[in-house]
Amino acid sequence: MSGSRSGPVPTAEAAQDSRCVTGIEGLDNILGGGVPRGNMVLIAGGVGTGKTTLCLEFLVRGAEKNEKGLFISVTEASTKLLQNFATFEFFRPELVQHDMITIVDLPIIYDRLGLNREELKPGEVDILVRTIQDLVRESGARRVVIDSLTSVGFRVRSEEKARDFILKLGQAFSELGTTSLMVAEVGAVPGVHSLYGVEEAIVDGVVLLSNVRRRGDMLRVLQIIKMRGTVHSRAQYVIELTPIGMLLAPFLKGGRLETS
Amino acid sequence: MTRDSEIADRLRSYSSGGTVALRLSSQEYADNYLSALGLTVRDLGGESNTHTIYVSVTNPASLVWSLLQALDIPSGRVSFVDAISHLMMSFQNVLPNASYVESPTMLEGIMLRIEYLLRKHPSQRNMVIVDSVNSLAVHNSPEVLSEFFHILVNNLKTRSVLTVLFTTSDAEGSDLDRILSLVVDESFSLGGGT
Repeated sequence: MSGSRSGPVPTAEAAQDSRCVTGIEGLDNILGGGVPRGNMVLIAGGVGTGKTTLCLEFLVRGAEKNEKGLFISVTEASTKLLQNFATFEFFRPELVQHDMITIVDLPIIYDRLGLNREELKPGEVDILVRTIQDLVRESGARRVVIDSLTSVGFRVRSEEKARDFILKLGQAFSELGTTSLMVAEVGAVPGVHSLYGVEEAIVDGVVLLSNVRRRGDMLRVLQIIKMRGTVHSRAQYVIELTPIGMLLAPFLKGGRLETS
Repeated sequence: MTRDSEIADRLRSYSSGGTVALRLSSQEYADNYLSALGLTVRDLGGESNTHTIYVSVTNPASLVWSLLQALDIPSGRVSFVDAISHLMMSFQNVLPNASYVESPTMLEGIMLRIEYLLRKHPSQRNMVIVDSVNSLAVHNSPEVLSEFFHILVNNLKTRSVLTVLFTTSDAEGSDLDRILSLVVDESFSLGGGT
């Protein structure tokens, strides 16, 4: 009964602000309006499944709504990334020129911090988290992408340190009210969505991108495995990476599947 | 009033969206096909503020395009989703206004290309032509085809898009009849038949 409710009823505006609208229409629909703000989400998938493109569109659509974004690149130089981004009609270089999207090369940060060893010590993990937190604060970003968490994981080199890194990073982002997407490169092992297997348990959400074979056709498929703070679809959707952005269509179930 | 102009008027009545089947008799198929193109691409598609998305599964888009030009049918506001050229290894003439799907079995790909073209060419009135239901049935099981048409047609209907499905009436089986009966608002026969 409505009369028994206590406390103020959330306004439509407040409800809207509690969501970080990705701007990818199909994805927002299956997420019930967007990613709950402040969530740390793993974007897991194999090569060529559209992880980086999804993350880029997330930042671009945010910038279009005046939400600054930070792209932390671990594997690819920012100059090369920008060349790739330019192939998408939805990406406008002026968003970078006007600091609405900041792209940072993490290897350069490693060098500046003197973190040149192949394996980070526990104290150095703390330094890395603080540095990323400072970058978010300085850039004013409300949306952050780390591409990829797997590459950072190779330097962390243990399950315990990986867990420590993600927990601290998640806490730092949560304090800043930042919604983040963490790219995880995964192989073809069903049910494994990250390098150490602990990442998916700690993060708030897991979006799985995969290549699915059906009668010889290769389809890119997206599925929300988990997302705290919202009711979401768990169905599979076929995606298309078009010049105007990512599009989703329901996966038709008439055929036999083989996941690769 | 001729039979064709009657059909054209009926098609116009679906200005706020709907799904129509044009059943082409296999007897004098070529003539019936040209009538179907005239009724749809020329008569409806030629009207201002209309954009046509032609999904070609029977013949490559380049062939349909040539035909439209040979018939002097205005084709400036026509885009193609070509789902057969890849399969036929027929890429001598790639059209700039065509979007190619690797195989007619990639039905989700067809849906996504239609979606892409609808967003790319926002128009007051949109028409999607599927040529043809029978060709899609050659490559897909009735179960998946039924699912595809159910999703596609309802999605387009909510967006006020007129969907025209070309079928060859003599080649329809009970599965195709069942699929069409679920999604089609009205059927018209060209060249005899019921």
